[in-house]
Amino acid sequence: MTSATMTSPVRPVDAQSPGAAFPAIPFSRLLRVEWGKATDTRAARWLLALVAASTVGLMLAPLFAPSRIDQTYTSYLRFAAVGLSILLPIVSILTLTSEWSQRTVLTTFTQEPRRIRVINAKVTVSLLLAGGAAVFGGLVTAAGLGVAAATGRELDANLNAGVLVGYLLFVLLSVATGVAFGALLHNSAAAIVLYFALPIAFALLGRASTSLGQWVDSGTTFDWVLNGEWSGHTPQILATVILWVALPVAAGLVRTVRREIN
Amino acid sequence: MITTTALTKSYGKTPVVRDVSLHCEPGTITGFLGPNGAGKSTTLRMIVGLAHPDHGTSTIDGRPFVELPNPTRVVGTLLDPSAMHAGRTGRATLKIAAQMAGMSTDRVDHLLNLVGLTDAADRRVGGYSLGMRQRLGIAQTLVGEPEVLILDEPANGLDPEGIAWMRGLLRDFADRGGTVLLSSHLLHEVQATVDHLVVISRGAVVASGPLSELLASSSLLVRTPDPEGLARALRSAGIGYRPGPDNTFTVDVHDGRITPEMIARAAVDQQVPLTELRQSDSGGLEQLFFSLTAATADHSQEAAA
Repeated sequence: MTSATMTSPVRPVDAQSPGAAFPAIPFSRLLRVEWGKATDTRAARWLLALVAASTVGLMLAPLFAPSRIDQTYTSYLRFAAVGLSILLPIVSILTLTSEWSQRTVLTTFTQEPRRIRVINAKVTVSLLLAGGAAVFGGLVTAAGLGVAAATGRELDANLNAGVLVGYLLFVLLSVATGVAFGALLHNSAAAIVLYFALPIAFALLGRASTSLGQWVDSGTTFDWVLNGEWSGHTPQILATVILWVALPVAAGLVRTVRREIN
Repeated sequence: MITTTALTKSYGKTPVVRDVSLHCEPGTITGFLGPNGAGKSTTLRMIVGLAHPDHGTSTIDGRPFVELPNPTRVVGTLLDPSAMHAGRTGRATLKIAAQMAGMSTDRVDHLLNLVGLTDAADRRVGGYSLGMRQRLGIAQTLVGEPEVLILDEPANGLDPEGIAWMRGLLRDFADRGGTVLLSSHLLHEVQATVDHLVVISRGAVVASGPLSELLASSSLLVRTPDPEGLARALRSAGIGYRPGPDNTFTVDVHDGRITPEMIARAAVDQQVPLTELRQSDSGGLEQLFFSLTAATADHSQEAAA
C-alpha cells in the first residue's frame, strides 16, 4: 500500500444527486450478469463438460447396440434427450442455489433489491442454457446418425415437428424441475439429493398404485412428453408440471422475497 | 444521508433491535459501536433491505433502500467479507459488481489498484486472507461511485497499516461529501476514524452524538438559579441527581437513558429556569463502553480482534 493509493480520489460527490437519477437495472443486464455467474466458475464449466460428455456417451448406445435399439432418427434423438436430462438439471439447481450456499445473495440483493427480478433472470438463464443444450444434443444426434450412416446402416428418417417439440419440451421440463428444486430449497446439497431421491420415491408410489402414480410421477409423464404421447395423458402431464415445477417455483419466489439474508 | 426511525426487530420473542434511530449526514463518518450481539449487523441489514423490521423505517436520501432503482450507484454496502464466491477471482468479482451497477468494467483495474489488490487480482477469492477480502469488499462498495457507504466491521482482519489506509480512504470519501456508516465492537478502532458515534447495547441506542461530546462525559451538569425547584422537577420526572456547588446538579446519564432533553423538559414542566445544561467534564465514553462490554463479557472476541 502506497500513500498514493490512500489519497486516490473516490468521487467528487454531488450532494444534490438523488438516487432516482440512476435508471433501474434493465432485465437484459441482469440476464447478462446471471449468465456470467452460471458459467464463469470452474465448477460450472466442469459440470457443463460432464453434461456434454454424458450426452455423447449415451449416443454410443444406439451406435454400438444396433440389434437392440431402433435405428431411427427419433430413437437417436431420445438418447440425446436422456443424456442431457441426467446432469443438466444439476447445472440449473446450482444456478439457483449457489448464491445462497456461497452467501453472495448478501451482495446480489443489495445490488438489486427486487429479488424476484434476480430469480427471474436465473430461471431465464437456466432455460436458455437448456435451449442451447438441446441444440447441442441435436448436433450430437446428427453426428451419431452420420456415423451410423457411414457404417452403412439403414436409418429410418422418421423425424417430424412433433418429435422435435417433444424433445425440446422434455429437456426444458427436466431443467425446469431442477430450477424448481433450487428455487425452493436454497441449498445446493439438499436440492441435488432431493432432486434425485423424491422422483424415485414417487415412482415407487406409482408402481404401488398406477392410477395415482401417473398424476405425481414426473418420470412417467415427462417420458410421455418426450415420446409425444399426449393423447389421453394431457391432464396427468399438466398435473406433474404443476406439482414439480409451478408450485415449487412459486413457493420458492415467496420464500426468496420473505427470507432474511444473514 | 441515512435516516432510520425507531427500527425494531425481534427474532421469535427475543428483541434484537429496539427503537434504533440514526441520522447520518453527508460529509460525516458515523461509528455504530457496540459489543458483539448488540444488534449492529441486524440494524445495518434492515437499512439495506436484507432483513425486515417489525416496526420503524429507514431511508437513504429520503427513499427506502429497496426502492432505489440502481442501489449500488447510491450506496456501497459491505456486510460480510466472507460472503464472496470462493471460486471467482477478485477481478471477476469486481467485474460482476461493475456490470450490475452499469459501470464500465475498465473501472475494475483502478479499484484493484486503489485497494492494493492488483497483484492478487487473478487469484481465486477462496485463497484470500480476511484482510484481502475486506479490501476487495471495499473496492466492491466503491464500484458504483456511491455517495453513501455502509460497512459492517470493516476493520476486521486488517492490520494496523490497513486500518490506517482505510481511515484515509473513508476520511477522503466523507470530505468529498459522502456519508459513511460503519460498525465496530472496538472503541479504539473507530475513535480516530469517526465524527459521530452511536453506541448500541442489547438492541437499543444507549448513547449517540458527536465523538468529542461522547468522549467527554457520562454525566450532565445542570445549573439553575432555583435549586429547590429543579430538585423537585427532577424528582417528579424520576431523574436521579447529586447536588453540587454553586447551584449545580450532576445527573448521571445512565448509559444514555437520561438525555439533556429530558432534563430540559422536566425543568420546563415545573417552570424552573436553567442557566446551564451540558456534559460534565469527567467520566467518558470509555467507561461507558467498558461497562457495556464487561456486561456482555465478550473478552475472547476482543482479544481475538
